[in-house]
Amino acid sequence: MKKIFHFTALQLRDHFLKGDLSAEEIVHHYIKRIHAYDPKLGAFLKVFSEKPLEKARELDKRRAAKKPLGRLAGIPIGIKDNIHLKGEITTCASKFLKNYTAPFSSTAVRLLEEEDALFLGKMNLDEFAMGSSNETSAYFPAHNPWDLECSPGGSSGGSASAVAARLLPIALGTDTGGSIRQPAAFCGIVGFKPTYGRVSRYGLIAYGSSLDQIGPLATTTADCALMMEVMGRHCNRDSTSLDLPPESFLDNLATSFKGIKIGIPWQFLETLNPVASKNFSQSVEILKSLGAEIVSCNLDILKYSIAVYYILATAEASTNLARFDGIRYGVRSKKAKTLEEIYDFSREDGFGTEVKKRIMLGTYVLSSGYKDDYYKKAQKVRTLMIEAFENVFETCDLVAMPTCPFPAFKLNSIQDPLEMYLQDIFTIPANLAGLPAISIPSGFDGPKPLSLQIIGPQLHDVNVIRYAHAFEKAAGYSQRIPQAFDEES
Amino acid sequence: MKHEHWEAVIGLEIHVQLNTRSKLFSSAPNRFGDEPNVNITEVCTGQPGALPVLNEEAIRKAVQFGLAVGSKIAKYSTFDRKSYFYPDSPRNFQITQFENPIIVGGEIIAEVDGVARTFPLSHAHLEDDAGMLKHFSHFAGVDYNRAGVPLIEIVSKPCMHTPREASSYARAVKAIFQYLDASDCNMEEGSLRFDANISVRPKGEKELRNKIEIKNMNSFAFLELAIESEVNRQIELYTMQPHASPGKVIESGTYRWDPEKKRTVLMRKKEKAEDYRYFPEPDLVPILITEAYIEKIKEKLPELPHHRFNRYVKEFGLSEYSASLLTLEKALADYFEECLHSCPHPRALCNWITVEFTGRLKESGHTLLSFGIPPAHIALLVEMIEKGTITGRIAKSVADDMVKMPGKDPAKIVKENPDYQPMGDAHSIEPLVEQVLKENPESIADFKAGRTKAFAFLVGQVMKLTRGKADPTLVNALLHKKLDANS
Repeated sequence: MKKIFHFTALQLRDHFLKGDLSAEEIVHHYIKRIHAYDPKLGAFLKVFSEKPLEKARELDKRRAAKKPLGRLAGIPIGIKDNIHLKGEITTCASKFLKNYTAPFSSTAVRLLEEEDALFLGKMNLDEFAMGSSNETSAYFPAHNPWDLECSPGGSSGGSASAVAARLLPIALGTDTGGSIRQPAAFCGIVGFKPTYGRVSRYGLIAYGSSLDQIGPLATTTADCALMMEVMGRHCNRDSTSLDLPPESFLDNLATSFKGIKIGIPWQFLETLNPVASKNFSQSVEILKSLGAEIVSCNLDILKYSIAVYYILATAEASTNLARFDGIRYGVRSKKAKTLEEIYDFSREDGFGTEVKKRIMLGTYVLSSGYKDDYYKKAQKVRTLMIEAFENVFETCDLVAMPTCPFPAFKLNSIQDPLEMYLQDIFTIPANLAGLPAISIPSGFDGPKPLSLQIIGPQLHDVNVIRYAHAFEKAAGYSQRIPQAFDEES
Repeated sequence: MKHEHWEAVIGLEIHVQLNTRSKLFSSAPNRFGDEPNVNITEVCTGQPGALPVLNEEAIRKAVQFGLAVGSKIAKYSTFDRKSYFYPDSPRNFQITQFENPIIVGGEIIAEVDGVARTFPLSHAHLEDDAGMLKHFSHFAGVDYNRAGVPLIEIVSKPCMHTPREASSYARAVKAIFQYLDASDCNMEEGSLRFDANISVRPKGEKELRNKIEIKNMNSFAFLELAIESEVNRQIELYTMQPHASPGKVIESGTYRWDPEKKRTVLMRKKEKAEDYRYFPEPDLVPILITEAYIEKIKEKLPELPHHRFNRYVKEFGLSEYSASLLTLEKALADYFEECLHSCPHPRALCNWITVEFTGRLKESGHTLLSFGIPPAHIALLVEMIEKGTITGRIAKSVADDMVKMPGKDPAKIVKENPDYQPMGDAHSIEPLVEQVLKENPESIADFKAGRTKAFAFLVGQVMKLTRGKADPTLVNALLHKKLDANS
């Protein structure tokens, strides 16, 4: 018999609306699972119980009274802990912000709240979203439910881990260089990064402002579609928010690729390891069988993605994180006696190694004498990449490539930072070009999931999810649950 | 300047706070003088997750200024982050326009000692103001009310050569903002702040020598004093070391003006200057301005100070000096025009406003505007003189009374004081004329010998006897009649 946690978000909502399940029952069920399983996973930095139960009871009353209910009524959701939920602490998985209460809710969270979502907790992440493994969290790393010794990926590792283990049907993530898609791939779930500007960044603690996007991690493309219908709205508190009407995603889910041309940058994928390569070829066969026309495309310039990303993202981060100085909020070093010491010690104590490394890198590439060689050159290459994608999309509807060059790795196994940065080679390009991109489970390497990535032109979010749905249905991997977590808690 | 064969080269950067309703990047009120940290939102204190949203009103005011000074309005302009750590900077970076400013070129027309001069601008850009640090006995606090107040920074070319030129330029900039109603222009509240870049060189030398910057002056007087003192300092140093390389004598640096010591004080040398690491602000999109937007603003531009100045000189025949005095303070010029409605004698009005009343109010610390004498009263006073109802001398006494009793109608003042009644009839003056002639036979002799001064003396004597109440024209006529009859 199907258990509550087997349901997708849409199914949960339907059962709730029909009266098969009460919202309170749903919340109890998930909180119980979180308490039972999260100690092994470390996916949550904070679990809420009173507030969502209260809200659930209110929803139950409203349903009984036949009053209107929001589109997310009855759906538990986790929030990556770099996104503000008013009145709750937003740590960014950093010691610096361990005492920082969000003074306002992010627009994304507010929109979910208005549609009656039930917030169950704040999710673990790499400190300030800087990392690809969740290991840079100042608190504890999250684990991969498919193999607890493995990383769930990062930076939205907590969100991916919790959704994969069905401790939540949906979680919010953020994606600056792959931080939604890579953990979704490592954990065998669906992760969607919208077009830059589609979801408001207001209330998201910025890492790389020109790259950051909030997006959903869920077990199905349909659930991602539902989330996008709620969150994909113009916001006048974010100047980079796209001034477009909300779009209809759920009505547009496709089951075939007929008439769709998919570009594959074969040359850029040459270095793929054999396992990932084989899986990708199988995915391409599935696409063909669904009617897609596969063409080769030239995106060789993407080989510079990592270099460009680590210059631009860190440059932005070095200024975004300058505000964490111990003056107005956050943890001020107790040993500081002068203004300089407040800055130095508070930042020295408050930030972890990876964050310091990126602040220093970003400061360096913007310094006079280096700015032209690094920052400005990287900007130019970024423009070339955008143009390369534009060229490809003149003839192709979508681009397909793997989400990651290899499956989940063991925690603490990657010591060389450059090797870690290489994780993101296939995900970074969509951030640099501001494109919508989705990761969909496409198979397994032993117990470890593998994923396909579909990238669309800017503003083609609907199409990306629409065709990802067709692939998902044909491939049939997205509903798998790691065995250790597929039982009633 | 003491040293005639030296030339100073001065450029000014003027920060003007725009009087928008809300701040440059947040909805917090843009208001001075409130309790600390009440006019703030999460943007003003740099809360993580907060994002800047540009205030359209600030763009409009910047464009107004650009059009007023004949600049090119950039169709595409952008913001940059300028990084430096200081507690008054809520994000530890300022949002400014470094690469692509909104206003390019243009010129300021200023009257320097009555002569209209044109000073070219480099550019003007928008940026947000910092908060204010307040030091208490055991701690320091930061007030973020000012953080995020919109500033426009107007950067001149290095085109000025004397302190007077600099202050005239600065006054002209201030006047433009008053006329546009784009700033409160309140010097005490810091609505206008000046940075001066100064270098000197021997006259005829082409290259510019090292410059120093004097930061953050908020009065025209300090601006002049600081420049004067700095120019002299530099010339003295060069003169004392005639054989040293100029770059060693004066090193670039940032100074401030110490009004007590009356000299510039070094803050930091150039090599210690911070690297601001400018780069494009990713949280803001470029400002795109259309021709239609510019045209709309152009149509509604008010009369500008130098237009009004020209009008006063050409139409009213005012001296350049007087026209400049009136037009530099918009409110004063408006006051003058208000008077003109009921008294069509611009030159006399100008004299009574800029000389007589200004002089009488000097001690009080008030201006005519703040003192409470309505323009209609000045107009009436001048009108009474022009019509011959009172003499100029009585008018001065009436003016004294108007200052003593601001708001009291001058017609009433005249009516109530018997001393102010003019002697208009020949019958009562004639005996006095005869008396004066009798008492001053030698003056009559002088007059007949062709000395005109003697005549003026006799008029004065008659006026004295009438205590100034007689109409001087009448006295003239009577005297002439008597003297001619005598001859």
